[in-house]
Amino acid sequence: MENSTDDYKIQSFDLETQTLLKTALKDPSSVNLEKVSNVIVEQSLKDCVFSKEAGRICYTIVQAEAKQSSGNVFRRLLLNRLQQEFKVREETRTRSLQEWVCYVTFICNIFDYLKVNDMPMVALVQPVYDCLTRLARPDALTNEEEVDCLVLQLHRIGEQLEKMNIQRMDELFFLLRDGFLLQEGLASMTRLLLLEILEFRAGGWMLNSTAHKYYYSELAE
Amino acid sequence: MSHKNKMKRSEARVGEEECRSSGPSRWSHSRKRGVDGSLRNNSDEDGDDWCRHASFTTPESSGPVSRCSRPTDWGSQVEDEEMRRDMHKDMQRYRRRILGPEVTQRERRASSGSSGSCDSREGENMETDESVLLRRQKQISYGKNTLAYDRYIKEVPKHLRQPGIHPKTPNKFRKYSRRSWDQQVKLWKVKLHAWDPPSLSSQKTTPNSNSSQELDPCEELDFGDVMDIELDFPTLSHSEHPPTAHWVHASSVTDQDYLGTPVKVQRTESPGGPDMV
Repeated sequence: MENSTDDYKIQSFDLETQTLLKTALKDPSSVNLEKVSNVIVEQSLKDCVFSKEAGRICYTIVQAEAKQSSGNVFRRLLLNRLQQEFKVREETRTRSLQEWVCYVTFICNIFDYLKVNDMPMVALVQPVYDCLTRLARPDALTNEEEVDCLVLQLHRIGEQLEKMNIQRMDELFFLLRDGFLLQEGLASMTRLLLLEILEFRAGGWMLNSTAHKYYYSELAE
Repeated sequence: MSHKNKMKRSEARVGEEECRSSGPSRWSHSRKRGVDGSLRNNSDEDGDDWCRHASFTTPESSGPVSRCSRPTDWGSQVEDEEMRRDMHKDMQRYRRRILGPEVTQRERRASSGSSGSCDSREGENMETDESVLLRRQKQISYGKNTLAYDRYIKEVPKHLRQPGIHPKTPNKFRKYSRRSWDQQVKLWKVKLHAWDPPSLSSQKTTPNSNSSQELDPCEELDFGDVMDIELDFPTLSHSEHPPTAHWVHASSVTDQDYLGTPVKVQRTESPGGPDMV
């Protein structure tokens, strides 16, 4: 099971990097963990498919390191690198929407996978909210990429986030309702996605079967 | 627009430098890992890249809150969070243990036998202040994050450790005065120094003693003296005010003469052992 590196979606790396990552998964103390964290973050910013699942490989490395030397060097490096990127997020967004969306996907995925004593990391709660709130602002709602990302993240981690800070989730949803109701010129797909996420949260972070049918039946057929 | 970010970054840099100016402590040379987490190799033992973890309180500092108590980097924040949660788990475990009927009895007997100062119920004697416990835990982690500690726990298995002879980690859950606690930590770390890696110390102090590991240290030591000192050390967990004069003496002995050789272990195994009473 642990050998199925396909799980970690690292085929897109060059061979040398693949070897580095494979070693990091098994024997983290023998590799340069700073390099590993940089490789993972940089790939996540380029490749949205990777950023959706990068939390898994990070989780495995963190576990391996904790087991091997009860260290958390990799986690520290990863989080601090993530923080650096967070500080320049607005620049990133201006430069490349795709990179920005990848970043949000990545940080949310890390939030989802890495836990401290089975609880989400408090340090990431505000930053994740900051990112999602940015995606809910009017200028971002006109970008389908950003809306897609926003609702996907809320589907995945909305419930956990809300438990950590309900007030910020409320504020975020005020923005979403406003966008859905008041913002002119939104694509109908965007309105659909917004409506769905509004219902999703209203139903206790799930859709009842009728709602599910409404939103997804077309896809199934 | 990019000015804002540059500003932020340079502010962060200033914070780092403040830390750095405190310089490497004398413990840093045997530290396993630097603050960036990378393994230290021997070449950078001078600690030019050394910067104390922002959340570490200096063991000697007097205030309960250090200047940079709230770390701003996510890595440290998460570590603090983890430490806090571990602490609460630890505390529950400890409470269960000391309040368990058998254990309480045993502890009560033990403590009344020695100093008599701890004969009240353990439950009431327990330190529960989170900030105190976290500070203490950091001091302990600091001491444990050394090559000497690794060597010690490897060389002396738990059941062979003798109170008063071998270093014993101070019990962070007991109520102690700030001064007493700090002194216990200090003594503990001085004792741990006996297990410093030999190569480091021989390079620095005695260049010719590469073979010091093979040499029987008994030949160079005045045994009786050291033993007296060792035995005069009160059991750490009970001592309110360890005798300072002895400590000074012992530390100078340990630092200059025996540094790097785990003399204490060898001594307990030495055939003569006339002073072992």
